[in-house]
Amino acid sequence: MTRRHLLACAALLLSMTGLDPALAEFKPTRPIEFVVHGGPGSGNDVFARALITIIDQEKLSPVRIQVANKPGGGSATAAAYVASKRGDPHVIACFTNIWMLDPMVQEAATNKLLDMSLIARLVVEPALVTVRADSPVKSLADFINAAKEKPGQLKQSGGSIMSRENVVRQLLMKNTGARWSFISFPSGGERLAAILGGHVDMIIIDPSEAIEQVRAGKLRPLAQVSAKRLEGFPDVPTIKEAGFDIPDVPQMRGIVGPPAMPPDAVAYYEDLFRRVSQTPGWKKFIEDNQLEGGFVNSAETRRFLGGFEGRLRDILKEAGVKIVR
Amino acid sequence: MDIASGLLHGFQVALQPSNIFWCFVGCFLGTIVGILPGLGPAATVAMLLPLTFKMDPTGGIIMLAGIYYGAKYGGSTTSILLNIPGESSSVVTCIDGYAMARKGRAGAALGIAAIASFVAGTVGVVALTLIAPPVANFALSFSSPEYFSLMCLGLALVVLLSGPSLLKGLLALLVGLWLTSIGTDLFTAQARFVFGQATLLGGIDFMVVAIGVFAIAEVLASIEAGEEAKMLPVPRGIRNLLPNWEELKACRFAFVNGSVTGFLIGVLPGAGAAISSFIAYGVEKAFSKHPEKFGQGAPEGVAAPEGANNADSGGALVPLLTLGIPGGGTTAIMLSALVLWGVKPGPLLMQDSPDVFWGLVASMYIGNVVLLILNLPLVPAFAQILRLPVYILFPIILGISIVGAYGASGRMFDIALLVGFGLLGYTMVKLKYPTAPLILGFVLGDAMERALRQSLMMSQGDLTTLVQRPISAIMLGLAVLILLLPLIGRFNQARVRAIAEG
Amino acid sequence: MGRNVLRDGDVISGALLAALGVYIFMQGRAWDYYTADGPGPGFFPVWYGVAMVALSLLLVVSKITKTGERPAVDWAATGRALITWLAFALAAALMEPLGFVLSFALLTFFIVAFIFRRPLLTAGVTAVCVALGFYLVFPIALSLPLPAGFLGF
Repeated sequence: MTRRHLLACAALLLSMTGLDPALAEFKPTRPIEFVVHGGPGSGNDVFARALITIIDQEKLSPVRIQVANKPGGGSATAAAYVASKRGDPHVIACFTNIWMLDPMVQEAATNKLLDMSLIARLVVEPALVTVRADSPVKSLADFINAAKEKPGQLKQSGGSIMSRENVVRQLLMKNTGARWSFISFPSGGERLAAILGGHVDMIIIDPSEAIEQVRAGKLRPLAQVSAKRLEGFPDVPTIKEAGFDIPDVPQMRGIVGPPAMPPDAVAYYEDLFRRVSQTPGWKKFIEDNQLEGGFVNSAETRRFLGGFEGRLRDILKEAGVKIVR
Repeated sequence: MDIASGLLHGFQVALQPSNIFWCFVGCFLGTIVGILPGLGPAATVAMLLPLTFKMDPTGGIIMLAGIYYGAKYGGSTTSILLNIPGESSSVVTCIDGYAMARKGRAGAALGIAAIASFVAGTVGVVALTLIAPPVANFALSFSSPEYFSLMCLGLALVVLLSGPSLLKGLLALLVGLWLTSIGTDLFTAQARFVFGQATLLGGIDFMVVAIGVFAIAEVLASIEAGEEAKMLPVPRGIRNLLPNWEELKACRFAFVNGSVTGFLIGVLPGAGAAISSFIAYGVEKAFSKHPEKFGQGAPEGVAAPEGANNADSGGALVPLLTLGIPGGGTTAIMLSALVLWGVKPGPLLMQDSPDVFWGLVASMYIGNVVLLILNLPLVPAFAQILRLPVYILFPIILGISIVGAYGASGRMFDIALLVGFGLLGYTMVKLKYPTAPLILGFVLGDAMERALRQSLMMSQGDLTTLVQRPISAIMLGLAVLILLLPLIGRFNQARVRAIAEG
Repeated sequence: MGRNVLRDGDVISGALLAALGVYIFMQGRAWDYYTADGPGPGFFPVWYGVAMVALSLLLVVSKITKTGERPAVDWAATGRALITWLAFALAAALMEPLGFVLSFALLTFFIVAFIFRRPLLTAGVTAVCVALGFYLVFPIALSLPLPAGFLGF
């Protein structure tokens, strides 16, 4: 065989193994920083640590992954940090909806999520519209009607004005013409205490917070904020099923990398987290925390977020929030 | 299961060797965490969470709780010795604790802090055992008007904390109120006073302000006063390194005050431990026969806030364990831990998982004893730190301050803020502005503003809701009374003078 | 009395606080004072500003009208404290490039040698020991990160 033939065979063999000689495959060579926008113990922090625990248990990563807490200004500090690590393949972050919302609303939060390298969407957090168990309101329609009768007098407790529960409220109010007020509390404990103490009439909370209260007979779920019914609440209709056709507002958690992250690094992490999402440990975590799993890859996530951002901006504008970007 | 049999069952669980071990580990870690500024119980519990995934839930929660209330014991150490609050709820202890250390009573102060923590911590657990359900309902009845009135009552204490110049105290309070408004408004997402800095969007960290205004300012003031030749006095002999009988007797009321105030305020999800220690200190000073001694090293000024922050932990566990409502911070993480272990925190926790509930409660009795035994003998050892020559001690204080400011967030920006607040604190001391009101304003300002706005939103702009609700009206009335105290004092003085002259 | 008054600490601080109060008030007015939902983000800042201006002017006036001795300022002592603060600020600024251990050692050296006027050797030994001590306790033993400079620590 001539040398030319040998080379041709080699190239053929190489291409058959899928190894593109021009694109080296990425493997991390130093500890990975997993940026989280909350302090230790915050929701994202616990989430990130749970992910790392599963990765360690299943030995899915050749290097250590460490949580880097960058709290401050919602997501602003973390986003600025990630943006500053442009092109670095050893930095990833856990993003949630506020990574999109903060740049819209805060002058000082200049780093947009869509400018970064989206890797995957891991979970969607559903929620439940609930009232006290001793309330005369028995369904979401009841609540809407009661609100129409006494505009502005019914109260909902929730987080900040940009939180998902307020976005759902805005959508429902626009859809039905009813009006009720939104009282912000900084912590989950206070929000729950407000409804259990009878100081507000309705709350939209995470199923993990609701489930025990419902089981103890303190709260009554009226509807689910999710595309399909949760296993833990088979008898509770979704908002659409309850008769109110409002757009979907998923509360997401996913993974993002710095801007201009090399494509092979993005592919590496995408694959890593896909494998995590298939482990039994992950499935148990999803179940325990009443989350909606469902791995969505990088391209899909980017496509979805592109449209979602525009919708959120419109909703917030109508809610009276000052949009700066 | 009724209380007696529950508690008995709990002790059976808590006294198992493995659970005693976890209790000890938790208390030990908690003490260290409390002593070190820059490492808080919330962060530690969060970091240990993955390690506890495989643990037995009872042992796990016993350990995490040990860290939580153990930190309150250790927090007073650096407050007293170095004027650096080890933990956010130990800030008030700096005021009289460090003053006692300057007078050579550091050991006594540390001992009183440990004993007050033990007494109030135990009272807190007893209350948790006996009256948890009715107290939990009391907590639920507290709505925004009540929180607002409570914060006003706390702010009214400025009158007691201002020393000779009420005017300067009020100005310091206003500065504190302004500083805490820096950040993002919760209700409208409006950024306030951030000067375009994304780092200020989350507000200023309380520890940065407290450490700067207390520790750094004190170092600078001491350097100015030329005390380099004088070391801080440390008496010889174990006797002098522990509180003497007189000091303990002076604290009788403080032990009760700290326990009750701390527990009741701890039960409220919207009020943090720093608030309860401030209010306990204020109450102590208000009822004291020699209020002028506060700030100069009054042992009650250490016992009241230290007891309060320990009873506060017991109180904070009430809504967590009986209703599934976390008070915030560490209790929120403990809630996540319970969920992760498959224990379902909520109103049914007591009946579904009596092992966890009663085991935890019983372990807290044991834990408080363990902590007293851990901390008291360390007192003479810790007091020796003050033997270090001042030229070594002061740089160490500056170094620990930086660690404390940097530790929580890991941002260089916080160190820059620390430097700024150090200068501010020094300027205040130099110009005789009392620093405690600034801290008071900073701690309470945010919660007060939120509570008022929530109240008005709930009542649709009706201000009378604040006085129509009985608890709120009472607390507002007390606040007004306290504010009028200086006027009453002056009125009395004029009266006495008139009588003497006439 | 005239010139001395303007240099009095209370008067100067009162004036500064009044200026701060005006600033807070103006900023507060830029935001919503009262909305349909109750007090807006500008409500409290406006009142803080007003109160600050009122009280600080009261302070200034009361000081100006008070007769009597004004204590002299010991500028040597105050200068010591301010120089210490400057050193502290400089050390903080250097922490990013040099790392905690190095800048803290420099700060300690400066304080021991120049503020407390100990022999240079004592200063050097103290600086090294203390900085090393911090390095061993915090990042090593407790995994509490301290700012690391170009040397990696």
